[in-house]
Amino acid sequence: MGESNQFANQAVWIVEGLIAFFILHKILSARRGQNLFIRRIAGLNVLDEAVGRATEMGKPMLFAPGLTGLDIVGLQAMAILSYVVRHAAKYGTRVIVTVADAVLYTVAEEVAKDAFAAEGAPEQFNSEDIRFLSERQFAWASGVVGILHREQVATAFYIGYFYAESLILAENGQMVGAIQVAGTPATTQIPFFLAACDYTIIGDEYYAASAYLSREPTLLGSLVGQDYGKLLMLGLIVLGAVGVTVGATWPHSGAYELFKNYFLSFFPRGMW
Amino acid sequence: MRAALHSLRIWLAEPRDGFALAAFIAGASILGIAFLVMLCGIPNRYRKFVVMSVTFVAGLFLSLEFLLPRDVVSAQGLVFSIGAIGLIISLGFAAKSAAARPRDIRGLGIWLAMTVASTAVAYFASSLRAIAVPLTTLSKSLTTARPAVGDLAMIISSFAVLLGILNLFQIHGRAVSRRTQGWYNSAAFFVAFFAILIVGLVMDWRQSQLAHLEPGSPAFTTVSRANTINSNLFQILFRGFLTSLESTMFSLIAFYIVSAAYRAFRIKSAEAVLMMVAAVIIMLGLVPIGASITSFLPESGIFSNLRLERISYWLLIGPNMAVQRAIGFGIAVGALAMGLRIWLSLERGSFFDRQL
Repeated sequence: MGESNQFANQAVWIVEGLIAFFILHKILSARRGQNLFIRRIAGLNVLDEAVGRATEMGKPMLFAPGLTGLDIVGLQAMAILSYVVRHAAKYGTRVIVTVADAVLYTVAEEVAKDAFAAEGAPEQFNSEDIRFLSERQFAWASGVVGILHREQVATAFYIGYFYAESLILAENGQMVGAIQVAGTPATTQIPFFLAACDYTIIGDEYYAASAYLSREPTLLGSLVGQDYGKLLMLGLIVLGAVGVTVGATWPHSGAYELFKNYFLSFFPRGMW
Repeated sequence: MRAALHSLRIWLAEPRDGFALAAFIAGASILGIAFLVMLCGIPNRYRKFVVMSVTFVAGLFLSLEFLLPRDVVSAQGLVFSIGAIGLIISLGFAAKSAAARPRDIRGLGIWLAMTVASTAVAYFASSLRAIAVPLTTLSKSLTTARPAVGDLAMIISSFAVLLGILNLFQIHGRAVSRRTQGWYNSAAFFVAFFAILIVGLVMDWRQSQLAHLEPGSPAFTTVSRANTINSNLFQILFRGFLTSLESTMFSLIAFYIVSAAYRAFRIKSAEAVLMMVAAVIIMLGLVPIGASITSFLPESGIFSNLRLERISYWLLIGPNMAVQRAIGFGIAVGALAMGLRIWLSLERGSFFDRQL
């Protein structure tokens, strides 16, 4: 296999192909009008409450998309930003957006402008509230901390990809008494947000945000497709665990030989 | 046409310096700005189509570059895998059809026939080199083109950096001119920005001068001395100020961990108790005093599993790792779904449908 595509093998093609099929199939089913149920996600339900609190206190809100660039993490952050800004526009509440990526900054500005316009309040848009601080991690973090303290924000959203700066932001938000909602696909930072924030959107809930907030059938279908994908992964994990246990107990059995030849060789170890 | 393109490629790639380089950069920037202005001028009704097309082509390029194999045997495996996906899907639909309408023999028969057909086609197609070889050729050409695509993305980002800097100037410039509270912080921004910009540019200029001078000549010695002073100044600004300030911010995390842990471990619920007990065990298991507490237990046998360091290790590689991996799987599947939605322009709600 080549250098750049060393991870693509038969297991990747089949498993990814099947998951992609589940997602697209369920999106099409949802478009045909099939009723789909998705569970309640507390971190996303609380967004309206967080906007309301800032409105009541007459203080601004902060939206920090982390060090995310213009990738799927950043685009999802922008989808949530749009939702937050539209709700803020209804009540005339300020939203300060602090961005660490220049490309995402231009997108964030457009998203905020569009969201204000969609709510019929284009005059509320202030370009100075969308701020590009720095592309350097701690320079950006210190900039955000400065804004948290100077503006005494009532609500802080940390939605995007974060690294070591996550706890610095969340603790400073705690100091100014802000209600804090965090959402990140960075597994190493989830414990810090859980410890310091009021609500945390974890794991795949992060990617479910746009579907959950918009209730658009196409996106709900995608969520159900994702669940089928996870069921497939779960089935493979259970099959693998059972097979390896059989191998450890009866290493010379025919069943283990079959498992070794048709399953273990298909999912080679040490891919990472 | 091909010869003209070849000559253009050679002309673009040839090394330049001095005025020629500056003129080349200026020309490329003007062309880039003109292209961006042209893009902004696209009427709204065509904009959606342009964005969808570019997103689809870019996504197709990157996914094919990653997924397509580069050798014939793997390419045959890919063709077979596509057949296997068809087989699994047909089997799934056959089972669904049988469960929903047990008496519909015709429907079931169609799905089973498709299962057999997909297996046969995959088996036959995977043995054909006429299919496998073009796949590998395509894969290699995509990989060759990848650096150029990366450069294109970097150029677009560079234009965005200018907009970012403009935003910084706008915000801090207004703070200084209006003497708002803490305006001196904004003034410090301008001082730091221009100091590192000027020192960095002068350092690059001196280094390009040195490259054209004869080592040992009087001019070389003079420029080299000036360059050393400049490099030292740059190091003071970069390492002395920036890196030290960043390290200071990073070191604050140690204190924040303590205060966050204090709040997280306050016993408010059954989950908090569980988390605190786990944390205490892991902390004790990682320090010598923890090992000494349970040192009376044997080092082997069933009771050795009750030693603190073993419970701590089990907690880390057992429950903790399992949860981390479960979250990881969820994130990966979620990212795949989000990627598919954006690639195929299926993302709706929020800003996607309105903006495009």
